[in-house]
Amino acid sequence: MTILEVQNLGKIYTGRFGANQVRALNNVSFALEQGEYVAIMGESGSGKTTLLNLLAAFDRPTSGQVLLEGKDLASLRESELAAFRRDSLGFVFQDFNLLDTFNLRDNIFLPLVLAGVGYVEMAQRLQPIAQKMGITDVLTKYPYEVSGGQKQRAAVARAVITGPKLLLADEPTGALDSKSSDGLMDLFAQLNREGQSILMVTHSTKAASHAGRVIFIKDGELFHQIYRGGATNEQMYQKIADTLTLLATGGDGHER
Amino acid sequence: MNARFLSRLARQNLRKNARSYGPFLLAAVLTVCMFYIISSLAVDPGLQSMTGATTIQIVIRYGMVVVGLFSVIFLFYTNSFLIKRRKREFGLFNVLGLEKKHLAGVIAFETLYVALVSLGLGLLLGVALDKLLLLTVAKILGVAAPMGFFVSLWVVAVTAALFGGIFLLIFLYSIRQVYVARPVELLQAEHAGEREPKAKWLLALVGAGCLGAGYYIALTTTDVLQAIFLFFVAVVLVIIGTYLLFTAGSVALLKLLKKNKRYYYKTRHFTAVSGMMYRMKQNAVGLANICILSTMVLVMVSGTSCLMLGMESALHERYPYDMNISRSDEATIELSKKAVADAGIVPENETEYSYVTCAAYSVPGGLDVTVDYTLDTESNLADVMVTDLADYNRCTGQDYDLAPGEILLKTARTDYAGDTLELLGRTYTVKERVEPMVKYGNMTANLTESWYIVVADRAELEQINEALSVEKGVAQSAQYQLDGDYKLRRFYGFDVAGHDEETALNARLAIRAAWNKASEDESVDLAGTYECRAWERQDFVSLYGSLFFLGMFLGLLFTMAAILIIYYKQMSEGRDDRERFQIMQKVGMSRLEVKRTIQAQVLIVFFLPLVTAGVHTGFAFPILNRVMTLFNLMSTSFYLWCVLGVFVLFAALYAVVYSLTARTYYRLVSV
Repeated sequence: MTILEVQNLGKIYTGRFGANQVRALNNVSFALEQGEYVAIMGESGSGKTTLLNLLAAFDRPTSGQVLLEGKDLASLRESELAAFRRDSLGFVFQDFNLLDTFNLRDNIFLPLVLAGVGYVEMAQRLQPIAQKMGITDVLTKYPYEVSGGQKQRAAVARAVITGPKLLLADEPTGALDSKSSDGLMDLFAQLNREGQSILMVTHSTKAASHAGRVIFIKDGELFHQIYRGGATNEQMYQKIADTLTLLATGGDGHER
Repeated sequence: MNARFLSRLARQNLRKNARSYGPFLLAAVLTVCMFYIISSLAVDPGLQSMTGATTIQIVIRYGMVVVGLFSVIFLFYTNSFLIKRRKREFGLFNVLGLEKKHLAGVIAFETLYVALVSLGLGLLLGVALDKLLLLTVAKILGVAAPMGFFVSLWVVAVTAALFGGIFLLIFLYSIRQVYVARPVELLQAEHAGEREPKAKWLLALVGAGCLGAGYYIALTTTDVLQAIFLFFVAVVLVIIGTYLLFTAGSVALLKLLKKNKRYYYKTRHFTAVSGMMYRMKQNAVGLANICILSTMVLVMVSGTSCLMLGMESALHERYPYDMNISRSDEATIELSKKAVADAGIVPENETEYSYVTCAAYSVPGGLDVTVDYTLDTESNLADVMVTDLADYNRCTGQDYDLAPGEILLKTARTDYAGDTLELLGRTYTVKERVEPMVKYGNMTANLTESWYIVVADRAELEQINEALSVEKGVAQSAQYQLDGDYKLRRFYGFDVAGHDEETALNARLAIRAAWNKASEDESVDLAGTYECRAWERQDFVSLYGSLFFLGMFLGLLFTMAAILIIYYKQMSEGRDDRERFQIMQKVGMSRLEVKRTIQAQVLIVFFLPLVTAGVHTGFAFPILNRVMTLFNLMSTSFYLWCVLGVFVLFAALYAVVYSLTARTYYRLVSV
């Protein structure tokens, strides 16, 4: 079953008074099946973040549409968007985006509290997730008291505690050391094995090598995609690295 | 790096930070202006020449000290906000290659510009408004203001010196902030991870205790003479209590709320409670300042305006007639009448009655005049005035009948429940309680309970007088002793046509001349008073008027300060909150919810001090009301209306600032 469908998506940023039009995204189409783990790669300025913002409905596309379970995001009113984001999407950000004024437990509870879930149910839901993330011992600590890896795992817990249809991750390993990165990617893989659909934007070849499919974007357009097939993580890593080399050197003659 | 570059950088900085420096500059200009005006009024030769101006200039000099002290604290305090917010900017300059001494140079230029602009504009505005204020004072005093402008170089010099000093202090503080910090600290100053505040239960309890004790004193003090001293004790206790409760108490309360999981994990409470906890940690002192400033404004403005507005009625209470004469011999009263007639003045509403007054204790069943009383003893001390039925009926137009041993009774403040009243060894039957009474101003000036007693006839009155004189002995009745026998005192009061002030003053002069002439004849006893309302009014006006003026002046200054502090608080918080609300929107909070949460928080931060100030004023009301009686103000309900009126006005002003601030704040947070 297709849960996310992106059709001919385009985004043009317009400067003040109509000057300086920048085409950030051009005619991007792809689909994501239920239970798939997709990584999107591309260089800085290639349009990755724009794409993610459109998928999360933080921004509206200039052309094309985003369908989540067949529903057009553009058809949602502003007031419905917040609830939509809360119930259907989970977010993991590069800089964690945890609130300093809450301890980890309350940070994880935040989307549930906004959805009006009672305390008892929240506590029940938290327990297995916290265990899976390995943060049970630090739940009462505040973000500035724990390590980056723990912060990011708390952020993942916050993202999945609502049982979202799609987990969106924006450079989740960007602020982590390599050990924490590996831990987080294992966690993502585990979540994916349990059926969680994941869409991750990343710079890191290593992170992307855990995904089932990698989509490459260049200059706002979909450039290439590779499927894991039966490959191991190492083989996948090599494939991605080759593609990136191609992306940087070949294909576009006048850049040399 | 030359000075020209630094000065240009300083100008640029000021322009870039206009949103935060604008209000500061405005505040500095207004503070300079107000200090100049009040100092100028204190030495203004035009004001000196006005009648009744001596009192007002003494009061204004006190005001000058208050304004000066206030300016130092206030400007220093607001500047520290600004510097805190700009640390990051300084850090960036530092990283980009400006040495600390260059930064100090930039800050020096900035401070210099701010100082020059605020002194220049402030003095200009001050000179312009000075005349307006002088006219206002003249209007309050009811005299003509002298023409022409007055600019005192001395006052300009004092103002420049004071504010020059303040800005120097500000400059030193700012460069200290820059010098002690490393660039990394400067850069991250705004992002320092803050720990959740700990609940300090002991301090919270002490705060509650102080506040309770202050309130208790305010509510239970009945003795007016002690009230003044106790009032200050209560004020200090309430101030300490306010600071402790705002700082420790608020956090403790929020902790309690947080512990209650049912309450805490609700959409509306969740972000508010945790947000407020941090907010209170940073802002409790500021909010307590605002609260105390607001309370001061409320008390001061309501008190002084109440005195001013109620002055005329207080004057009428104290001096019921245009001329009020009290003698213990009828001959001098006849003399006075003749003098008035000779001056061509026709008395109206003439009243004349004989009476006895004494101090006594109200005891169960009657009044005890035998106990030695001192001023600081309990409040059942009473003033008693006795008159007889014939005079009473004539003066008040009533038609009562009294059998011997019966009396009519009126008490001013408390009710006397008994059917009989014992006085000087005789027991009287209270026939009736009456409302209209002969007018006797001296009793209204007293702080104690007043008893008015009407006895059946003149003989009875004479007898009371004699018994009293014997009982009280020489100390009480020097004037009776002088007379050689126990003469009754007699009151004679009259109005002049249309209450014309000049006629009344002429009548006073005529009577004074007659009395002086009579005093040359040694056989005449001169124990007695003549009081002219128009003459006394001048004293009333200069005292109440200057208090009123000062109350308004300081009220305005403190209101401005409170508003500015609040504005800065909101602005600096808006920046911190912005990030938090962005995160919340990302995890699924709608814009509407964000807006609602913001409104709720801003609302609490804004109105907590106002409500607390209102409560403080409410608890202070009884004791203030008693202090007001010292100023002859007898009407509690009138004072209550004044307090309510001032509160409503203040709250309205506050609400306007709130809506402006909330809008700016929302824009800051939601962009």
